[in-house]
Amino acid sequence: MNDASPLIEAAGLAKHFGGIFAVDHLDLAVREGELVGLIGPNGSGKTTTINLMTGHLRIDGGAVRVRGHSVGGLPASGFAGLGVGRTFQITQLFGRMSVLENMLVPGLARPRAHKAHVIREARRHLEFLGLAALENLAAKNLSGGQQKLLELGRALMLEPRILFLDEPFAGVNPYLRDEIIRFVQTLHAEGRTFVIVDHDLDAIQRLVHRLVVMSRGRKIADGPLAAVRENQDVIRAYSGA
Amino acid sequence: MLDYILIQAANGLVIGVLFALIATGLTIIFSILKIVNFAHGEIYMMGGYFGYYVITLLGVPPFPAVLVAMAITFLFSVGLERGLLTPLYSPRIERKADYGILITFGLSVFLRNIAIILFGPFPLRPPSFIEGDLIIGGLIISYDRLVAAGGGILLLGALIYFLNRTVWGQALNAVSQSRESASIVGINSERMYMLAFGLGGALAGGAGALIAPIYSLSPSMGLVPDTQAFVIVILGGLGSVSGTIIAALLLGLSENLFIALLPDPSRGPSYANAFGLFIMMLVLLVRPTGIFGRQHVAME
Repeated sequence: MNDASPLIEAAGLAKHFGGIFAVDHLDLAVREGELVGLIGPNGSGKTTTINLMTGHLRIDGGAVRVRGHSVGGLPASGFAGLGVGRTFQITQLFGRMSVLENMLVPGLARPRAHKAHVIREARRHLEFLGLAALENLAAKNLSGGQQKLLELGRALMLEPRILFLDEPFAGVNPYLRDEIIRFVQTLHAEGRTFVIVDHDLDAIQRLVHRLVVMSRGRKIADGPLAAVRENQDVIRAYSGA
Repeated sequence: MLDYILIQAANGLVIGVLFALIATGLTIIFSILKIVNFAHGEIYMMGGYFGYYVITLLGVPPFPAVLVAMAITFLFSVGLERGLLTPLYSPRIERKADYGILITFGLSVFLRNIAIILFGPFPLRPPSFIEGDLIIGGLIISYDRLVAAGGGILLLGALIYFLNRTVWGQALNAVSQSRESASIVGINSERMYMLAFGLGGALAGGAGALIAPIYSLSPSMGLVPDTQAFVIVILGGLGSVSGTIIAALLLGLSENLFIALLPDPSRGPSYANAFGLFIMMLVLLVRPTGIFGRQHVAME
């Protein structure tokens, strides 16, 4: 392990579908403890980038490195084992399992897991997320917002070093949005690293310290919020010019 | 007449247990890999032959031979899965369901024919588990059937324990519900596909080894149980293990009682399969997802 290396890094990352580059030679490095926003117009390649950096899509070019080690070709489960967690734009839960069981699966899937400890951790996270009272409910019966929280909680059971959140604020009510912001801030203060993709610029601006903007598969801006807001390329990308 | 019905009911339950073993294997493979394994009956047949040769060539006693046959069938099935089904997991195959049907259908024809070459076309019969019959009043049932049913119940119990109480079982359940979710929580889906196909094959192989002393072995012995297993899985609800076990017992019982209640019982066995299919059609007309149905999920 090389502590000087970024926690996760995409170098010259490329993915094309047919003749179109969804991600076009992207460089993106995220260091431990960062809270990065990844934004861009629809079709700019944000979710594809997450998919490539978490093993859900095979890369066509470039490399993904976790703590300096190349992990190209590793399946998504391998990324999870390295502490790279994620959530989905459309939540992907084990619908027929209870809320608690959803939390236990990742905990028990880890090597040398102790069930009693895993259950304790699961209940601690459910308490933190305000889902403790629902632990026996089937996941498919939760509301959309509660499902997003459960997906976040389930990702936490992996004790991830970094969490990619794909549109965590999409389709949630303002109260729940504030709750999610609060949860992310608390977890970040505890030392977790986040990359958050969303179209909700207000929420993103309240959360992140660094903003990366993509357009047509390329990174067009990367830096502190204020600087990115003034970036003419970003303004053009969002105004469609 | 009452004695005859009693005997048929007992036989129906025995056959139902063995059907349940075969059909749960099929439903596990379906729920994890999302393919219909048309070679399942032939894997059942291979399990029977593995058991036979483990007894006759290696001298293993009949009871442990069933477990050895299951272990060999497990490895055999894993080999088939690795050799033939891995393209299903890559984006190279667009029509995955079609690929699964074609490859397993081809495999069933291949295994049936290779069995004729390897084992010969004539029936083979391994030694009995226990010679003789149990007679209680008018009920007469062979010890081999009782052992087969008892062994089947033990195996089904072990399966239910494995699926519900072990980490591997939970992981299989997770993959059956959402592959994406399973992968992000650290479960290697491909390993689960391998396990599911091996486990499904081992259950069918165990049924083959248990039934061999009752009905003998032949290369085409998998054809009818295969059809029955499809009926059971559809009746029980695709992907539902508990539904499959209940449907298997109901089908075994109802088919045998149907035979007993026909005016000419000597013709009954010829119509038994048709009766099973008739029940399936009726159930599907009322409940298209089966008695304990789940919605079908296609392989992504």
